[in-house]
Amino acid sequence: MIKQHLINFAFQQPKRVFLLMLVAVIIFAAMMPKIIIDTDPENMLPSDQEDRVFHEAVKHKFGINDLIVVGMIKKGPQGIYNTRSLGVLHQLSQQILNIEGIVPQDVLSLATVDNISQDGPGTIRFQWMMNQPPTSDTVAGEIRSAVENLPFLNNTIVSPDGIATAIYIPILHKDQSYRIVAEVEDIIDSLDSDDSFYITGLPVAEDTFGVEMFLQMATSAPVAGLLVFLMMWYFFRSLSLIASPMILAMVTIICTMGLLIGMGYTVHIMSSMIMIFLMPIAVVDSVHLLSEFSDRYHKGTSPEAAMREVIDHLYKPMLYTSLTSAIGFAALALTPIPPVQVFGLFIAFGVMLAFFLTITFIPAYVISLSPERLQELAETTPQDDNNSLLAKRLKALGKGSLARPKILISAFLLITVASIMGVSKIIINDNPFQWFQESHRLRVADKILNQHFAGTYNAFIVLEQRNDPELQAAFEEKTTAILEQAKSQSIDLSPLWQQLLQSADEIVLSEYSASIYPQFLQNLVLKIDDQLFAADDEHVEYLEALLESTEGVLNTSKYFQQPEALAYIEALQESLLTTGIVGKSNAVTDVVKTVYRELNEGTPDFYRIPDSSAAVAQTLLSYQSSHRPQDLWRLVTPNQRSASIWLQLKSGDNVDMSQVIAHVDDYIASHPLPAGVEMRWAGLTYINVVWQEAMVKGMVTSLLGAFFVVSLMMIVLFRSILFGLLAMIPLSATILFIYGIVGWAGKDYDMPVAILSALSLGLSVDFAIHFVQRLREMVDKQGSFEKAIPLMFEQPARAISRNAIVIAIGFLPLLLSPLVPYNTVGMFLAAIMIISCLTTLVILPILMTYLKGFLFNKAQENS
Amino acid sequence: MKGFSKLLALIALLGTTAATSAEESDVELIVSKANHIAFYQGNDGRAESRMLITDGGGNKQVRQFTILRKDHSGSDDADQDFLVLFSRPSDVRNTMFRVIKHIGKSDDRWLYLPGLDLVKRISSGDKRTSFVGSHFFYEDISGRSLSADQHELLENTDQYYVVKNTPIDPTSVEFAFYTVWIDKQNWMPTKTEYTDNAGKIYRRIEALEVKDINGFATATRMKASDLRSGGATLTEMRYISYDIGLPDEVFSERSLRNPPQQWFKRK
Repeated sequence: MIKQHLINFAFQQPKRVFLLMLVAVIIFAAMMPKIIIDTDPENMLPSDQEDRVFHEAVKHKFGINDLIVVGMIKKGPQGIYNTRSLGVLHQLSQQILNIEGIVPQDVLSLATVDNISQDGPGTIRFQWMMNQPPTSDTVAGEIRSAVENLPFLNNTIVSPDGIATAIYIPILHKDQSYRIVAEVEDIIDSLDSDDSFYITGLPVAEDTFGVEMFLQMATSAPVAGLLVFLMMWYFFRSLSLIASPMILAMVTIICTMGLLIGMGYTVHIMSSMIMIFLMPIAVVDSVHLLSEFSDRYHKGTSPEAAMREVIDHLYKPMLYTSLTSAIGFAALALTPIPPVQVFGLFIAFGVMLAFFLTITFIPAYVISLSPERLQELAETTPQDDNNSLLAKRLKALGKGSLARPKILISAFLLITVASIMGVSKIIINDNPFQWFQESHRLRVADKILNQHFAGTYNAFIVLEQRNDPELQAAFEEKTTAILEQAKSQSIDLSPLWQQLLQSADEIVLSEYSASIYPQFLQNLVLKIDDQLFAADDEHVEYLEALLESTEGVLNTSKYFQQPEALAYIEALQESLLTTGIVGKSNAVTDVVKTVYRELNEGTPDFYRIPDSSAAVAQTLLSYQSSHRPQDLWRLVTPNQRSASIWLQLKSGDNVDMSQVIAHVDDYIASHPLPAGVEMRWAGLTYINVVWQEAMVKGMVTSLLGAFFVVSLMMIVLFRSILFGLLAMIPLSATILFIYGIVGWAGKDYDMPVAILSALSLGLSVDFAIHFVQRLREMVDKQGSFEKAIPLMFEQPARAISRNAIVIAIGFLPLLLSPLVPYNTVGMFLAAIMIISCLTTLVILPILMTYLKGFLFNKAQENS
Repeated sequence: MKGFSKLLALIALLGTTAATSAEESDVELIVSKANHIAFYQGNDGRAESRMLITDGGGNKQVRQFTILRKDHSGSDDADQDFLVLFSRPSDVRNTMFRVIKHIGKSDDRWLYLPGLDLVKRISSGDKRTSFVGSHFFYEDISGRSLSADQHELLENTDQYYVVKNTPIDPTSVEFAFYTVWIDKQNWMPTKTEYTDNAGKIYRRIEALEVKDINGFATATRMKASDLRSGGATLTEMRYISYDIGLPDEVFSERSLRNPPQQWFKRK
């Protein structure tokens, strides 16, 4: 048997075991420097996922970048409209433009945007809003009225109360956010200002989380390790003994992470938690082993014999607890989220590695201890142990609980019912900002800025006109008629025409262009125009007709400058405001209406969409004579085939975004999209909803799948359906109770909470396996359940509760982390340990007492 | 040719009494000569222009228009009249710009929008705004006042005078300075590069093709590039003619709504 070979090898050649481990650690540690860190939650979706591909295409098509939002607040009646604040804002904006990695020409702030205003009767004026800092409060007041007059600036760059102003900084790459924010903060520190500054934006939250996450890996994990170490020292009182689980955990983590990095996987938000997850799992088995060993090893006995005996007892339960944990995590591979798959599979690997090391390294380590050390161990532990506080409490627990089975079972059922109710209350929601604690500067900034502004979270509704086939049909019909007319006059234009069509087709098409046909028409117009210069006189008349037809079709292709199309967008925008989540939306309609009003002397009645497509085109042409004509193309593509509505959301919570999506779906159901128009979503807030949905669905699948497999394993392990099902009770109760608490506490079911279902599943079955396995052995040995059960509350219960206490307390430092997912892991680990330990030690014995007739008939007959 | 330009400089030097140094008047002469070549050839002129605007994302747009120009009589390289009539895209056809360029004060600009049947006067406090959405500015089309900048001859190569132009009022512009390469052969400013306050070149205008038309060196292909966004506008000038005898009445307010077709029509 492999098992025996392995164990023999460990006992016979402990030095080789150490050497092999050292070599493995060196090899895997050598891969660590290749680490690639990836903190982008967008990567929660595969890079070829439909919504993500579209989001990327929209960014290119409209030239949209992810935004960092810098807010500046000055309380008082004048708000930020005073010379000092505006001077500071001007200076800050100018200096921000010099930061690397931003898109300077698209920075939005009072100091970079244009003002459109009246300059005397019949005169329109385009000028910088605040080219220079204002020299007097009067000028500052003029800026205020100018901003309030321009709907696309008001409530976006200055709050309606004038108290807050924002600088929107488009960035080229999200993973530069943290650095860019640091540079902005340096500039702010150098300013002589009495204003308050806040920085927010999803990319900042995401990148900051990444940076702080790695900080946590370097602090929380070691602190948790230290505390686990101290807890073990408290129980075993032998530093040399407990050093072994710590070494084992370290080796497991180094090998697993080294392998992950070495195989070229990025270390994502998920995989950074592998250390935190592996540590308790790696420690658990060896604590069982050592707990048993220290109970059995007495003066005068051989350590090897004691260890062999312990391993004999524990091999099966340890193998099965490891397998169940590994399966719980490996099932995450069923989730369609690449980082979660990597996370699950590598933890599964780590778990099995830890098992392998537990049955080889720990024995090798123990028998290599000096006789003096072992002597100490033999003298201290056993006597102390049977009389320790824990030992006494456990015996009392065993007696007490078996004395009141009805009350306890009723309480258990009551909690179960309450938990089911709690689970039904669970709200599936996430928001990267909620990964920070409420006091975190990002959370504070997020809250304050969203109080003042229409919203700092972005989503985009993209409308695309896709009636290319109709355009083509119209074009062909018109041009064929002209060609035939020419033919009837015995003028054959076909060769020339084919040549023109071909040359117009030879164009480099933008891969993101939704509609390539208008591009072809535009090229053709230019080609015919060129041709007219060289054309024969008799051809001219027909070429001009062809040109006119082509231009006519090209003109109708410009869908989003038609008043009906704009009216649809306008109505949709109005409807969005009724959600209470969308603070404001910006679209081409707002530009058209504002410029149209200013062209008409600024008369409020003209704040509307003009009556003809040409009027819209000319209004937009006027707008393009400003300093920032490119701003228009963030809202509509130059071919007028695609329009985007920029939604400013007050909340980045997925529940809120989902509500907006549902609202738009309803709206479109009752107000059908115009013919040929398709609607899709883009934007980071939307993308977060997409991967959350994928994850929640995937989690349910993987949880159910793992539950099923683990149930089967239990039945196989105990060769009994009844024992198998009993062993599943602590696990089921733990998961149910924990998610019941989540539901009742109103805590959102977010990414970390979802992932922890795998940890719950993997860890909470462990104690039941140990308990059932040991009980059956005990019944065999003692001859009856009644004799066996009190003994279960000695060694076996001690091993279980030591484990529970070590892990539960050991990971409490995670509660001090500023990152909520780390707090969640800490809480979950404690809850998993306490609930599964209590159900195993209290509920299982009671149920077994009731069912002993069915459970132990055979055992007793056999004996 | 080199000798000839030196001779020219010498003549200018003799005529300029206010000049404090030879260097300074040298450069003043160079820029004024280049200014003349770029904006004041002949007494009047007509040209058809086609702009292909490409943004950083590769989206393309077209602007096609005809320009009529006439210099005010009695002044040398000073005030000018312009009419710009749009023909493409067809939805802005017959949109008309009328500009009176003044030296020493703001230009007068009017716009006629046929779709709105509206004549608007455009306040032109700032000429560094986009020309109809292209990467050219109004100032690139009509010329920047020579007195707005300090000129410094950076380099005198075999082929070019390289002149650095620093704005006298830096708050009125978005650049720190710009550098012009003036071709010694024909005095054509063939390349202009704009440097921002961080010392980075962010904008470039190039004459890609210069042709001799009626004896006047004329840039027939020009490109304005926005180096930050990656966008660029290519302008092709065609059907160019000089000294066609445009009467003053053509440049009247009446022409905004009623384009004088006889002059705009391609011949």
